[in-house]
Amino acid sequence: MANPILKIRNLTTRFFTEEGQVNAVESVSFDVEDGEIFGIVGESGSGKSVTALSVIDLIESPGRVTEGEIWYRNEALAEEFRGSRPAAVDGDFVDVRQLPEGVRRSLRGPSFSMVFQDPMSSFNPSLTVGEQIAEAVEVQRRARSNPRSTRSRTQGYGLGSLIADTLLPSQSYVSEESMERAVELLDQVGIPDPEDRADEYPHQFSGGMLQRAMIAQALAGEPDILVADEPTTALDVTIQAQILNLLRDLQEREGMSILMITHDLGVIARMCDRVGVMYAGEIVERGPLGEIFDAPVHPYTQGLLGSIPDVDDPSTRLEPISGNVPSLIDSEMPDACYFADRCPKAMNDCLTRIPEYELDGRHSVRCVLAEREYDPTEAIDSEVLADD
Amino acid sequence: MTEPLLEVRDLQKYYFERDTFIDTLLGRERQSVKAVDGISFEIEPGETLGLVGESGCGKSTTGETLLRLREATGGSVRFDGQDVFEMDSEELKAFRKDVQIVFQDPFSSLDPRMTIGDIIVEPLKIHDIPEDPGDQSKREWRRTKAGELLKRVGLSATQLDRYPHEFSGGQRQRIGIARALALEPDFIVLDEPVSALDVSVQAQVLNLLGDLQEEFGLTYLFIAHDLSVVRHICDRVAVMYLGNIVEFGPTDELFESPKHPYTKALLESVPRPSTSEHGRRVDALSGDVPSPRNPPSGCRFRTRCPQVIPPSDLDIDQETYRAVMDLRDALVVGDVNPDHIWDAADPERVDEEAFIDEARSRHVDAELRGEVAGVVDTALGYLAEGDDARAEETLRNRFESPCETRRPGVGDATHPAACHLYEGSDEVTVIETNASEPLEADD
Repeated sequence: MANPILKIRNLTTRFFTEEGQVNAVESVSFDVEDGEIFGIVGESGSGKSVTALSVIDLIESPGRVTEGEIWYRNEALAEEFRGSRPAAVDGDFVDVRQLPEGVRRSLRGPSFSMVFQDPMSSFNPSLTVGEQIAEAVEVQRRARSNPRSTRSRTQGYGLGSLIADTLLPSQSYVSEESMERAVELLDQVGIPDPEDRADEYPHQFSGGMLQRAMIAQALAGEPDILVADEPTTALDVTIQAQILNLLRDLQEREGMSILMITHDLGVIARMCDRVGVMYAGEIVERGPLGEIFDAPVHPYTQGLLGSIPDVDDPSTRLEPISGNVPSLIDSEMPDACYFADRCPKAMNDCLTRIPEYELDGRHSVRCVLAEREYDPTEAIDSEVLADD
Repeated sequence: MTEPLLEVRDLQKYYFERDTFIDTLLGRERQSVKAVDGISFEIEPGETLGLVGESGCGKSTTGETLLRLREATGGSVRFDGQDVFEMDSEELKAFRKDVQIVFQDPFSSLDPRMTIGDIIVEPLKIHDIPEDPGDQSKREWRRTKAGELLKRVGLSATQLDRYPHEFSGGQRQRIGIARALALEPDFIVLDEPVSALDVSVQAQVLNLLGDLQEEFGLTYLFIAHDLSVVRHICDRVAVMYLGNIVEFGPTDELFESPKHPYTKALLESVPRPSTSEHGRRVDALSGDVPSPRNPPSGCRFRTRCPQVIPPSDLDIDQETYRAVMDLRDALVVGDVNPDHIWDAADPERVDEEAFIDEARSRHVDAELRGEVAGVVDTALGYLAEGDDARAEETLRNRFESPCETRRPGVGDATHPAACHLYEGSDEVTVIETNASEPLEADD
C-alpha cells in the first residue's frame, strides 16, 4: 500500500518583503501515497497554504521556493530525463523543481490540480462557468496535441490583441467538444441541469454550487494529485458535508490522491488517512490519523486538540494554548523551538533548533519529548522567551 | 421562573428591494426579503441563549434589530419590562447603556485611527461617566478604568496608547469585549465573537467570556454558526432557518435529542475531531437554502427535508417521495429544461416514451412504481408537450404535502420544534394555512 506518488523533501519557501525575509515554509517533508488523502492542518499563518502553493509551483514574487525537492512518480518523465538530467531522476521519480519551466507548467492539470478556498473570488465574473471549465479542458486538449504548449488565452493582453479583438469578429477560444466535456464534468460533480448552468455566470451560482464547479474545473485534466486548499471553509456545515462527500466519491472513482489543507481538525478526521500538523512554517508532527489524534506527542498538537469544543461533550473546560501565533519574519524568529514560548513543557533542551525525530517509521515529531520525559526541574520560564 | 430580562415577540425584519422613489414612479412593486420572519423568545437574567443557524438565516439581523440598531418591521421587544421599540431618545440612551454588542470581525469593528484607550473610553464619554470622579479628573478616572478593563480581558494597561493594527485578531476581540464591558451592561449580544479566530485563540476568548459572565452576572445572546462552540457556552439554544426559529430548548436536551429534521441534519453534518469520525459518510441535506425573497410556502425547510410528510392517502416511502418532491421543486425553479431532455432522448421530438425515460433518469433519483410512476409519467408527458404549468399542477394535485400548506411554528413546550411531525403536542403550532391556490403563472 505504501506507495508514494509524491515525496516532498526539505521544502523551504521564503518571501522577500520590505519588512524582511519571511520564512513561510521551513524544511517541510512528507509523502503523499497513491489514492490517499493527506491532510495538512494548522492555524492561520502556519504556512499550510504556502506549502500547497509551493508543491504546485504557484509561488509568486516576492516569494520563492528556495530549497527542497518535489519527487513525483511518473515513469514517462523519468525515462525522458534520465539521460539529459540524471540528477532530476531517481527510479520512477522525477524532481519537479529540476525540470525545465515548460515541462513544469505542462504538469499543472494532468498531474497536479488545485481547488481554492474561496469559490466566489476564484472564478472570472465576466465569463460563464461553462466557458471557464471548458477553457481548462481546452488547455489540456491542446497540450496533448502539442505537449509543451499550454498557453491559455489569458496571456493575450497588450495593444496588438486589443486591436485584433476590436476589429476581428470575436473568436471562441473553446471548441464545441471542450464545452461538451465541461457539461459532463459539471454533471459529474452533481450540478443539476448542467447544460443550462454551464451558460450561467458565477454570480448566479450559490457558494456550494460554485465550489462544485471549481472541483469540476480541477478535474478537467484528470490529475494524479488534487491539492485542495481549505475547500469547505467558506461554506455552511450542511453544504460542507455535501462537498466532502463529493471529494471522497471522486477520489474513489478517479483513484487520485488528495493533498488537503484545512484548519478544521474535524474535516481532517473525517477525510484524511495521514496528517501533518504545521506550526510556524514547520511540520511539527506527522503520522497516521489515529496516532496524531489519540497519541499526540508534540505539545502543540495536544494544545490544538484541547482547544476544540466538543459538540458531543460540553462539560470540559477548554484548555487553550496561551499566547499568539508567532511572527515568521526571519530576524524575529528565535534560534530555538518556535513553539517554546507558548509551550507548557518547554525545557532547556528546547533552546536549540529541534530536528525531526522518527518514532516508528510512520510517525515523526519535531520535539525533544520524542526522546525524553518532561522534567519540571529543567523548565524554562516561558516569560524569558516572550517578546512583551 | 423569574421575570425574563429580554422578551422578543413576533419580531420581523424585512428588507425591501425596488423601494426607491423612482421605482414607485415606474409603478414597480416592491419586493420584500424576509430576513427575520416572526420569531419569539425570552432570555432569563444570567443565562446564555444561543442563536444558531447557517449564513443568511437571519441570526445577526435578529441581534441587531432587537438592540434597535436596525428598525424592526414588526413585533415587539421588551427589556426589563420596557418596550424597546417605543422608547424615546432619552430612554434609548439609557437602554444602550445596559445592553452592548460585540461584533464578529475584530478588524473592522475598531476605529484604526483611535488608540485602544480612546476606544474603550468612548462609551464612558458618551454616557458622561463618572458623574463624580472624586479627587481625580474625569479623564484620569476613565483612563484608570480602561486600564483595569484591559487587564481584566487579559491585556496590559501599558498597551492603552497603542493602535488596533498593533494587535492580533484575538487581542482585538478582547479589546472589543473590554469596550462592551466599560458601561457595566447587564446584557451583551455576542455576534459571532469567535468565528474569525483560530481555534487556540478562540478557546481563550470563550473561557474569558465564561469567566466574565460569572464575575459580572452578565446575560448573553450568543449568535454563532459553530455548533460545538454553542454547545460549550450556551444554556439554551434556538436554531434558526430562513428567518424562523425551528427548534428551541435547553442545550443538552437539544443536542442529545434533537427533534427538528433540520437540527438533526445540522448536528449530523458537524465534523468531529476524533478518530471515530474517519470515513464517516454524512447523509448530507440536498440542495441549497432557498432565497428569502421567495421562501417556500408552509414549512420553510420542506424543500430540503429528509422527512417531508406525504399526503395521508398515498402509500410511498420517504426516499421516493423526496425524489418526487425534488422533481417538483426543480420544475418550479426552472431547473428542468425540456429542450435538453428532447435533445438527448429524441432529437426529432416525437417519441414521448423516450422523453419520459430520459427525464426520469435525469431528474428522479429513485425507482418509481405503481400509482406514483403513473402520475409522474403523466406529468412528464405534459412537460414533453411543452405544458410546464400542467405538469406542475398534476404533480401538486397528487403529491401535495401538509408541510406545504400549513406553516409550523414553535409551540409552548420547553423544547418545542416547528415541525408537523410533532403535530398534536404542544411542541408545534400552526401559524398560517394556505390551501392550494389555483394555478398561476410562475414568475
